[in-house]
Amino acid sequence: MRPELDRLHLIEQQLLQTPAALPASEWHLRQLFDGELTADAALQRQLYHGLHQAGRQQLKRELRTIHTQLYGSPGPRWLAALRRCWPW
Amino acid sequence: MPATALPATSPPAALRQALLADRTRTLTQLYARAFPAVQRLVRRQGGSAEDAQDVFQDALVVLVEQAVAGTLMLTASAGTYVVGVSRHLWQHELRRRARLPHQPLPDDPGLLLAEAPAAEEPVFAVLDYVQQLGEKCREVLLAFYYFQQPLTQIAARHGYRSVRSATVQKFKCLERLREKVRAVFTPEFAD
Repeated sequence: MRPELDRLHLIEQQLLQTPAALPASEWHLRQLFDGELTADAALQRQLYHGLHQAGRQQLKRELRTIHTQLYGSPGPRWLAALRRCWPW
Repeated sequence: MPATALPATSPPAALRQALLADRTRTLTQLYARAFPAVQRLVRRQGGSAEDAQDVFQDALVVLVEQAVAGTLMLTASAGTYVVGVSRHLWQHELRRRARLPHQPLPDDPGLLLAEAPAAEEPVFAVLDYVQQLGEKCREVLLAFYYFQQPLTQIAARHGYRSVRSATVQKFKCLERLREKVRAVFTPEFAD
């Protein structure tokens, strides 16, 4: 892989604590000698957070589709929210 | 990989395998099996059809996330577990409505389950940049990082010749996302 991709891989191993993750002492040493490593790792953590949110959104879309296939459309969600606020 | 029917009582590992093999089929079976009980429960306690749908789907999200992460502990069937989680979420929602009657359910069911305070969100949403990725990149990244599909499966589904090719492609996609986000990333998120 290109060095840039290898760097993403290295950070990923650390953040996801895969079996290939460096021992904590070695990681801290790398952070000392590589001034951008800490910031790059923080950015990558944000990417994973965003991917988790996006995955959850996709799963919810899939579940709504399954619901519709099994039971039909529940009607517009704004109407449900409106009924909740003004339950006349 | 052939899709298999989800047994009524399946250990977490079998559920995980079924989700990986055919998520739609597995979730549809679980939905058909468990949703009617949740709907009855919610309607009996004054909730609407939409409320039942919301809490049930949130409970399924919890189940899927725990199953694929390998952290699911089942003492009964997956359907019973989902009904139990739904009941917990609904009780939480009823208490919340009693306090704050005009606010909708929060987006993160995991937070409700853990009764944990919401973590501080970053000021910009990486989520928007994920949606801007090409379809293939987005699918590969979500398959690996959220649905935790093995790279062998991702390689087969997306036509990569090897796990190595799929790995390289995954990191290229992650790099693409990183470049989009880095332009607006600020140092306050750094450790």
